[in-house]
Amino acid sequence: MTIEFKRNLAVLRDMVTVEEAEGLLEWLQKKPTAKVDLGACVHLHAANLQVLMAAKPVIQVWPADAALRLWLESALTI
Amino acid sequence: MNSLLEQFLSEARDVLQGIGDKLMQLENAPDDAGLMTELFRLVHTLKGNSGLFDFPEMTRVLHAGEDLMDAVRNGRVAYSRILADRLLEAMDFVGLLCEEIEAGQGETARHAAASVHLVKGLRELIASDEPAESSPPAAAASVAELAEDFPDLALDRLPEAARMDAYRRACAGASLHWLVYRPSEQCFYQGDDPFFQVRQTPDLLWGGIEARDPWPPLAELDAYCCLLDFCLLTAAPRAALEEQYRYVADQVTFTPVSRFALVLPQGDTNGGPVYDDFATDARNLLAAGDLAGLARNAGTMLELSSPDLWIASALRWLRLVLESEPDNRAVLGALVESLNSLTTPDWRAAGWVERGETHHADAAIAHSPSQVATASSKPAQPDQASAAADQPSADDGFRSALPILPSDAAAALTAIVATQREILALSDQPVWLSGRISAAAAALSGCLRAAGAADALPELDAAVARALAEERGDALLAWLDDWFPLDGLADAGLKANIPVQPAMPVTPTDTQPAPAPATQPEPDSELKFGRRAEDAIAGPKSLKVDQAKIDRLMNLIGEMVVAKNALPYLAGRAEAVFGVRELSRDIKGHYAVINRIAEEMQDAIMQVRMMPVSFVFQRFPRLVRDISRKLGKEVNLVLEGEDTEADKNIIEALADPLMHIVRNSLDHGIESPEVRRAAGKPATGTLTISAAQESDRVLIEIRDDGKGIDPGVIKRKAYAKGLIDETLLERISDQEAVNLVFAAGFSTAEQVSDLSGRGVGMDVVRNAVEKVNGTVSLTSECGRGTRLRLSLPLSMAVTNVMIVVSDGQRFGVPMDSVVETVRVRRAAIRTIKRSLTTVLRGRIVPLKSINDLLGLDAAPQVNGDDELAVLVVRLGDESVGLLVDDFRETQDIILKPMTGVLGGLSAYAGSALMGDGSVLMVLNVKEMLS
Repeated sequence: MTIEFKRNLAVLRDMVTVEEAEGLLEWLQKKPTAKVDLGACVHLHAANLQVLMAAKPVIQVWPADAALRLWLESALTI
Repeated sequence: MNSLLEQFLSEARDVLQGIGDKLMQLENAPDDAGLMTELFRLVHTLKGNSGLFDFPEMTRVLHAGEDLMDAVRNGRVAYSRILADRLLEAMDFVGLLCEEIEAGQGETARHAAASVHLVKGLRELIASDEPAESSPPAAAASVAELAEDFPDLALDRLPEAARMDAYRRACAGASLHWLVYRPSEQCFYQGDDPFFQVRQTPDLLWGGIEARDPWPPLAELDAYCCLLDFCLLTAAPRAALEEQYRYVADQVTFTPVSRFALVLPQGDTNGGPVYDDFATDARNLLAAGDLAGLARNAGTMLELSSPDLWIASALRWLRLVLESEPDNRAVLGALVESLNSLTTPDWRAAGWVERGETHHADAAIAHSPSQVATASSKPAQPDQASAAADQPSADDGFRSALPILPSDAAAALTAIVATQREILALSDQPVWLSGRISAAAAALSGCLRAAGAADALPELDAAVARALAEERGDALLAWLDDWFPLDGLADAGLKANIPVQPAMPVTPTDTQPAPAPATQPEPDSELKFGRRAEDAIAGPKSLKVDQAKIDRLMNLIGEMVVAKNALPYLAGRAEAVFGVRELSRDIKGHYAVINRIAEEMQDAIMQVRMMPVSFVFQRFPRLVRDISRKLGKEVNLVLEGEDTEADKNIIEALADPLMHIVRNSLDHGIESPEVRRAAGKPATGTLTISAAQESDRVLIEIRDDGKGIDPGVIKRKAYAKGLIDETLLERISDQEAVNLVFAAGFSTAEQVSDLSGRGVGMDVVRNAVEKVNGTVSLTSECGRGTRLRLSLPLSMAVTNVMIVVSDGQRFGVPMDSVVETVRVRRAAIRTIKRSLTTVLRGRIVPLKSINDLLGLDAAPQVNGDDELAVLVVRLGDESVGLLVDDFRETQDIILKPMTGVLGGLSAYAGSALMGDGSVLMVLNVKEMLS
């Protein structure tokens, strides 16, 4: 699993695959105030990305990967 | 090429042929559901197979074809000629791809655009007939149109730094493309990761992701329905982009972007210093050509303006343009004017638009002035301007030294300064220390000049002088710390990096192709295999064998025949030399057995090489259909005797001549429907191609009921072209005249069309047929039609030759040209005009000595009865006698054509190995006598 769900925080790591999107969506549906930690994330599948874009959770940690961070910042902070 | 691919290609050819045939049949019976199902099955099979390989272009076209056939099969779309045309076109495309792949040009990506075009054509047919069901394909098809109608590229969304960077890249010669990628909603199920795909885009300058529609409530969101759109600005060449997006070519639109479309000043239009003077000065400076002065003024203005202001943005652009292309006065002028009016320059109105593609940019430009105009109505805020003016005096020395730096320049500067710092901090004391300090100083002063901070130069010079005097780098280091504080530097570096980052290709893509496409066929591959099992109706009973293997077998059998032929010699030697008569008899008996087996083997291998003429005939329905439609004629093609067989080489040699003949018949023979009706003939012409076997030859007849050939016209044409002289014009019979069409350079057509009439038709046909020992004859009845007969040998492998002896050497003469062998008394030979002739059965036969023809210095020998041996051979319609010394037996030989240097000797048709190991030269009688 590349997503670890803590009490109110989802920690995404490495390459987040398409299979994770369902779980991420369900979790975010249950926890509207959830936060997301992308610090160790290198890439996330577009399905996950659109879940994050739709759910607009608070991003606690932006990815360390600068390129990914740029992409995500522009997509998730609109 | 792996064996799976080989098999696919060979199957694909068959299936494509099948599809073509079925379409032809459907043309006559459009309502035949069975045919339609069969056709669907073929397209479906081919599509499924192509999915196993990495040919997205092929699969895409086939997929569209399959959808269309499915719609037709279910009665949703009616079969039409347009449909057949498009499908045939699509199949031709697939055939072309197959050929290229086979030729080793596995790179099919460059056909992506063609494939999208074909898919669009096919989808349109589905869409036009069933608007209700057309949503997914129509959406795909209309993306391209959408982009055309809506060229708003929204370039103003891009941060200025990214645009400036793109502008610089464009000035350096890169072509900019705006790429919109709208992945299909189902793309996640096909294993695509659009986000990964765009991150891999080469030379990405900027990218944005947005939702296609407003997001639904989270509870209703489907994570696996892709709702994302991606917009990218990239400096990669188009080919690279097509390669990157080849799997999703139908979901991507590229728009070339002019670099000027990026010149969009942005920001708050209020406040700042008074610009009027600047604009006037700038105009004057520009008119005077004082670009340096203009740059200085702009720099000063920039320092006075807050970086967030619109005016600052415009000034930055002005400086950038000055830097990158100072000669482009029109652009500079437009920018200066826009500074005066505080509106974005209208590049189109400026009239300098230099490239066709800028029309895309217009819209992007056209809609930003409105924002600007509304913003400019706000009251001015002078305090902001003073704040901006204060800024340089702040203790941030770094910033004061480098007023405004483009982001990537800032990054470069950071790197240079860091390196100089390292160099200066070195603690060793080499003899070249002063040189080192000077080098660092030169680098730093260069940096300052480039950054437009020339006023800092005196201080630098002073520091350098101190450092040189002390012979230590410390003074310069101190200056560096003063001007480029370490933390400020890191800060500036970071700041500079952020906007630049998208400019750097995130990861080089070409080295590692996106894994997403590679996994594409997986999800439904299982399904496909399941369906494939149903598709296979019956196991094939025939083997596909590479022709090279057959040829090898044939060569071996040829050698076997030669070895076998040595046995009678051996028997002769056993008897004559060793005097063992019984052994000789046994050898002869055994020879008979081996001979029979060898002949059967030869026969069997010939059978293997035999192919039905349908191999050539099968392409005619399509050819006739296409040509007759192009010419507006109605033609009914009748094929007879398609299962007649002949050697593969013969059949293949037949293909091109037949094509010529059929084209000629359609173009010149069969008349247009009106003319036919006027002549009392049925409006639809009939073209019959029939094949039949007659002893050891194949006869092919091409017959049309067109207007025939008018011998009068031919005669006049031939005379006009100088092919015949006046006496011949008078004497020539109609039949002979008609045969003049075979003369080289002859053309009957009044006009050269793209089908025929260039005068390379019929003589090419005759040459091609004669090359395989065939003959052509033509009969025509004016107004009733033309009949062409080709006569070809069944097989070329074994040649029957007559062996003759002359000057002690043996020569072979092919039996098909031999008419008779006679002995002529020397007294019966006369000399007419210095050439020898004799009279045989009331006809004059010219005689030639074979020794003369071959340059042998010997006279023909007579036998005991004072008779000469004459081999009468056929040469066209005439007979010629060859004077030889003696006749020998006839023999079947395997004729090997001459190769290498000997290949140029046209007097010989080839050579053959005899049973006793000697080599027999086979004469080419026709070449020798002509």
